[in-house]
Amino acid sequence: MKTLTITSYLMFIISIAGIVYAMVANPPAWIVYAIAILFIPLSILSFGLMIMAQSKKEEEDERAREPFIGY
Amino acid sequence: MDLTTIGGQLLGTIPLGDIVLYLTPFNLFMFAGALAFTTLIAISRTETQVEAEFGTLKDKEVKVDLQEFKIRRFLAIVCGLATAGAMITGDLFNFTLFVTLIGIVNIGIVSAVRQVDVLNAAFQYGLIAMMASLPLFGGAAIILASTGTLSLLELVKIPYVTSMMTFGSLLLLMGIIGETGVAPFYATKAEMFRTPGSPFILIIHLSSLLVIVRAIEVLLIINKPF
Amino acid sequence: MNLMLNILLNVTIAFLLGSLLFGLQRKVMARIQMRPGPPIIQHLLHTLKFYIKESTFPKTAAMPFYIAIASILCVIWVSAVIVGPVAQGSLLLIFAIYALHKIVEHNAGSSSGSPYGKLSCVRAVFSAAAEVPLFAVLIIIYLKTGTMVLSDITAYQAQNGALLFTIPLAALMFFVLILSKAPYSPFAITKGKDIISGYETEHFGLLRGYLMISESIAWYMLLWIFLTVFLGPLSLLGYLVGMVIISVIVAFINATTPMLNPNHSIMVQVTLVFIGIVGSIILLML
Repeated sequence: MKTLTITSYLMFIISIAGIVYAMVANPPAWIVYAIAILFIPLSILSFGLMIMAQSKKEEEDERAREPFIGY
Repeated sequence: MDLTTIGGQLLGTIPLGDIVLYLTPFNLFMFAGALAFTTLIAISRTETQVEAEFGTLKDKEVKVDLQEFKIRRFLAIVCGLATAGAMITGDLFNFTLFVTLIGIVNIGIVSAVRQVDVLNAAFQYGLIAMMASLPLFGGAAIILASTGTLSLLELVKIPYVTSMMTFGSLLLLMGIIGETGVAPFYATKAEMFRTPGSPFILIIHLSSLLVIVRAIEVLLIINKPF
Repeated sequence: MNLMLNILLNVTIAFLLGSLLFGLQRKVMARIQMRPGPPIIQHLLHTLKFYIKESTFPKTAAMPFYIAIASILCVIWVSAVIVGPVAQGSLLLIFAIYALHKIVEHNAGSSSGSPYGKLSCVRAVFSAAAEVPLFAVLIIIYLKTGTMVLSDITAYQAQNGALLFTIPLAALMFFVLILSKAPYSPFAITKGKDIISGYETEHFGLLRGYLMISESIAWYMLLWIFLTVFLGPLSLLGYLVGMVIISVIVAFINATTPMLNPNHSIMVQVTLVFIGIVGSIILLML
């Protein structure tokens, strides 16, 4: 879980930096498109991974063992 | 006819002798899409299918074993690269070659599975794909014979359409449909999708859909309604 | 306006309006079935609720494919927003995006290893056989207007009148395509309630929220394409009214029809494709 949190923070910072760069520096259109296509979805995903609720310590074990939640 | 009315603004060309690759947003997007999926396949694990077992309350896990995994991943990557090639190529003959490669590799991906139903489906798909390679290459050959070129960038410039060109493109369409196993041949193909190994099965579906989209562009270029 | 800002604004509008239109659709369906129904912002609230929920990933899933496939849905519909409202690019590109959408439906289902997802995956393959030809209406548009670039199609309509009246069968085909993407639709076999939530069954929590965001954008974009391609240059108010009207019509159809069996759904769609393509070509030749 720890690696997931660190990766998501990193992804979020990179994607926001990219979007801000495209907004401020006004690079050529195709670079802006590439940044938008890659970084908008990435920022949404990584933001979600950052703010999602975490499970309690004692519940963690049983959740990992289930094949599916709805099973 | 103008190429930009189909795929959007022409971004540039890459001349390789008489084969000229042309880049429109349409080609580039599909090329990038095929490559992105190929990368994903190369780094992904396969899923474990969980099925209910008869007679007990236990679950049965269906997995892909290591040997099968390796060969299927290799074939899937080849298929992804062939799809990417078919998206970007500016030459009709290269396009047909990529499409046949896709057909061959798709059969390989499913025939590595040890399940009778799946092998049956793969066999039937294989028959169709083999038969389809004749009209596929025949169509390209007829277009070459009637126009003197296979470069799509040259074909766009030809101001007329003869009935032989239309006949050739119809054969080409038949070949592509058979080789990628779409519409009328979907029934056997859907059977192949029941096996575990989601990332590899993805590429079978991806290649057929993307090739069909590209084929629309190619056929419009040859037949030019305008 | 700044290009990046323009894109961000369009994506946000697509997400919010798409969610509200889904909410409106549920409201209309509820009223037809004599229920009070959820508030119109319910779909938006659902999305946000899922988005902040705790998520784990099934241990049977094909990682990282299982997460990436959800991101790809978002990637392709953000690209569609760029090709559509922002850059007014080629319609064929949107066709490619729709083909990738079918891939996501197919593989979001199979990536988790769940039997429900697998069934939805097989159904997605079947439905592609009908929905991809439905998108082939763009060939008819090309035959009529001589271009596939969205800005040129709107210019053509500004001169010659809306395409809805010159190629009505093509518009009908596109409408069926939109209908089959709506929730509770008679053609929504990949998300049928008999297989729980279809391909989304095992994408719960955050990833479900993520998928719902992309689906809202997708719904907005499909309506936007229909309005742009068949009704020509519209004002902002025109788009809004058009989207609300189409959503309400779709809600009426969904509330009054049962979901079709997969085979019947495909056959109905294929029949409509046949009528649409052959009929349109005959109409063009007259």
